[in-house]
Amino acid sequence: MTHARNLTFAHLWVAFIAFTIALVLGVWQMWARSPLPAPFLTASTYFSSVTAHGTATAYVLTTFMVMGFGYYVAETALARPLPAPRWAWIAFALGVAGTLMAVVTILTGRAAVLFTFYPPLIASVFYYLGLVLVVAASWIWCVLMLIAMGQWKRANPGRPVPLAMFATVANAVMWLWTTVGVAAELLFQVIPAALGLKAEMDVGLSRTLFSWTLYAIVYFWLIPSYIAFYTMVPQAAGGRLYSDTMGRLTFVLFLLYSLPVGLHHLLMDPQQSNAFKFLQVALTALVSVPTLLTVFTIGASLEIAGRLRGGRGLFGWIAALPWERPMVLATGLAFLMLGLGGFGGLINMSYGMNAMVHNTSWVTAHFHLIFGGTVVIMYFAIAYAIWPTLTGRAAPSLALQRLQLWLWFIGMLVMTLPWHTLGLLGQWRRVATFNYADPIIAAWGPWVIVSLIGGVILLASGLLFVYNLLEFNVAREPNAEAPGALYATAVHPPARVPATLNGFRLWNALVLVLMVLAYGYPLAQFFIIKSPEALVHRVDERR
Amino acid sequence: MSDEPDPRDRPWRLWASVAILSVFAFSVLFGFVLLPVIQGRGAGLDAWTSICRALGIAPGSPAAPQPTSDAKAQPTTRVAWSAGLMEALARPSAAGATLASGCAACHGRDGRSVDTKLYPDLAGQSAAAIYKQLYDFKQGSRANPVMSAMAQPLTEEQMVALSAHFASFPVRAIAPVDLAAPGEAIERLVARGDPARGIPACNACHGDQSGGPVEAPRLTHQGTQYLAAQLRAFKSAERHNDIYSRMRSVAAALSDGEIDGLAAFYSITLAY
Amino acid sequence: MAIAEEGIVRSELRWAAISIGVVSVIMLAIIYAGLVHHINPPSNIETIDPKTLHLTGEFTEPNLGTRVAADGQITSRIVATQFTFVPRCIVLPANRPVTLRFATPDVIHGILVTGTNVNTMIVPGYVSQVHTVFTRTGDLLMPCHEYCGLGHSEMSATVRVVPPGDFKPDSQGGVSCDAR
Repeated sequence: MTHARNLTFAHLWVAFIAFTIALVLGVWQMWARSPLPAPFLTASTYFSSVTAHGTATAYVLTTFMVMGFGYYVAETALARPLPAPRWAWIAFALGVAGTLMAVVTILTGRAAVLFTFYPPLIASVFYYLGLVLVVAASWIWCVLMLIAMGQWKRANPGRPVPLAMFATVANAVMWLWTTVGVAAELLFQVIPAALGLKAEMDVGLSRTLFSWTLYAIVYFWLIPSYIAFYTMVPQAAGGRLYSDTMGRLTFVLFLLYSLPVGLHHLLMDPQQSNAFKFLQVALTALVSVPTLLTVFTIGASLEIAGRLRGGRGLFGWIAALPWERPMVLATGLAFLMLGLGGFGGLINMSYGMNAMVHNTSWVTAHFHLIFGGTVVIMYFAIAYAIWPTLTGRAAPSLALQRLQLWLWFIGMLVMTLPWHTLGLLGQWRRVATFNYADPIIAAWGPWVIVSLIGGVILLASGLLFVYNLLEFNVAREPNAEAPGALYATAVHPPARVPATLNGFRLWNALVLVLMVLAYGYPLAQFFIIKSPEALVHRVDERR
Repeated sequence: MSDEPDPRDRPWRLWASVAILSVFAFSVLFGFVLLPVIQGRGAGLDAWTSICRALGIAPGSPAAPQPTSDAKAQPTTRVAWSAGLMEALARPSAAGATLASGCAACHGRDGRSVDTKLYPDLAGQSAAAIYKQLYDFKQGSRANPVMSAMAQPLTEEQMVALSAHFASFPVRAIAPVDLAAPGEAIERLVARGDPARGIPACNACHGDQSGGPVEAPRLTHQGTQYLAAQLRAFKSAERHNDIYSRMRSVAAALSDGEIDGLAAFYSITLAY
Repeated sequence: MAIAEEGIVRSELRWAAISIGVVSVIMLAIIYAGLVHHINPPSNIETIDPKTLHLTGEFTEPNLGTRVAADGQITSRIVATQFTFVPRCIVLPANRPVTLRFATPDVIHGILVTGTNVNTMIVPGYVSQVHTVFTRTGDLLMPCHEYCGLGHSEMSATVRVVPPGDFKPDSQGGVSCDAR
């Protein structure tokens, strides 16, 4: 490893510090919403906290994690130094500067618009510029990943790109497509309004542009976890990856089907039509396929590992797996949470059932379980797996790592299972204070408190995670494994793969076709129908 | 890298295109045609109307008759907001200075009221708030013998100019007063509202950095009696020029003691 | 390894076929609900200028709430604004098709009615329209469920569902909560 070590450290520490702060805020927010009196609570502090929590988890933790892990994969999977490391550091600086800029505006109460921005509510322009810098940093990362893969392919003509890097670049390509929506919304609508250049804006258009980004972005977040599933978990379990080809196909399917489906976040919105919602719901059904494929492929890979360790019978291989290894344990816990959260997702996409849960706590429970649960638990596992190669020391205590993972899993279930129920009972979102005098709402109180306890367990787990990483600095045993040893081999490692599974030209063309078909008219309609615009409401200045 | 397409790629290209086009064809068949046409039949709509509604080209559901309305407008205020108006209100105005001399007798030079018990401060007030009240006085949506007469002769441009002019002044500094501190219950109403009565925090509309209705005035440093009188007028609906009952619904839920407490709170608070 | 690459690919494709079968069943269920129960998402691309909503005829204050048209169609019109619903209480009959129409003069709001499938966003520039049949009587909570500013937590209305026999429009076809 030449440049990646410091880059990965820097990015991941920023990610985890933002994450820890977000956990503290999250617990306070749950306390505020519960029947128990919470300190510092006003409408303004609550919604500023929600904005901070969302920004830290959805934009900072994720982007920095993806970038940092990407640099690690680029050097270790390709076994070559990162191209243009100076640009990687420039991107890091931009990302940190942007984060700080956004944070300052939130702390001074000038950005209570929540991380999904609620136009025509408009915050200080520096909040949006801060996020623009973070996205710009990520774009530099995307270019560096593309260059790294291109250089490797030229140096290794005809050979298949290592799966971990192929998936990382698939993520980069997908991210470039994904950010078009929010970039257009910010550049043409929100930032001009924040600068005072426009006094009104087309809210239907901005919601549709944002929906372009809002679903695909969750795949940007989850692909590192899936990279771990395919390329690290089989190795950690002592087995092999069942199928390298299906792995590549899975990441290609994510690239194709995570983008033309954003309208499923607008199923209850008036400004989009039944017909295009139906089309995008059908495409959403398809995006569940790569996840189902993953469960099968990784399950099969683990079965190989279990049987190699002596597991017999239909399910005996499960008990035989090395659950004491954090990567394996995390995968098992992740799959359990994926089952619950994924099921919730299938409900959300069926608009008849969506009508019963939209904007209730069910939605909050769903994305905390699937993202905070499945994806983030694998972020922990990735960190534990690569920290020895980054620090040069062996893990001081696997038991504490396992404890931290179990606490995260338990806390997540304790927090989100009552939330799912409360959502079905009608509890709605984004509330600073509930009226617990109302008998309907009073019945929810005990469940809200149970959820709060789950949140506290999660905070404890998060703090233990940071402690576990810091402990490496005082660990005594040196690390014995080379970084490349982390990666799994396939049962039948391919000598060659077709160009379509070694590059993205065909898939980019198909994404373009899909986006034109799925989003073409839904966006064009705002220029044909000329919807009336709403006055801008500034949340950052005196009236 | 050779320029000839790899023959192993052809089946991938073929199947990928077939899959995507099949999904699209399936969706168009069901979502664009079959569902709306069959639903429309149940609602007595012809196929073309149902399809247009499903595509969003015509308003309404493909599955139900569309309601109509011939109700007559009875607005509580005739102000018509527009981007142009908001932009004009934000521009500094020289004409406003000249016109403002006519307001000085009550509202004072520089918008600092000569008697805050009766006349509100205009210095540093929201331009949109001043404009709306002037417009409402002129149109009769709000009634006050003196202000209705003062507003009558004003043109639209003059109202905009006056509003922008007074908004540009700094807010009056607070003189020390001996009013008792309003207490925790009032501060709670201001910062958190009361969910049990559906009262939003006053700051949610009137605070700095709130993002509330554009015409919500700043309340700080206004006279206690004036503020209390306005709240009582909203409570009895004697004053009813607030759009969609925003103030009437809040004031109706407040007790007399709360009205006095809130008025006292805002009169001694400079920044919120 | 005992299993050959073709065997692996075949098992994966078999599983892919099962997965696609599962999602196809879900799509068929959605189509069934659409054809038989007329379940659609609340989409109604009907534009209206939020800046002058209070000057319109349909959404003028005295016209809000439930009205029965001459042809018997029951429609309830509600304005969502920072931070109240107007009116705060509406009356609707059970077991009859009803239409709810929402508009806002300012920012994004949204509503759900607890215990029902009535759920829609309310976006400035558009009229939101929901068609439903209430099956149970009682007072239902209709909160604003989308962040609309600092007063969002306190924004809530009541939907009073009454037996059809108790649903009596006045001479103008209006039905309001105060009359009860």
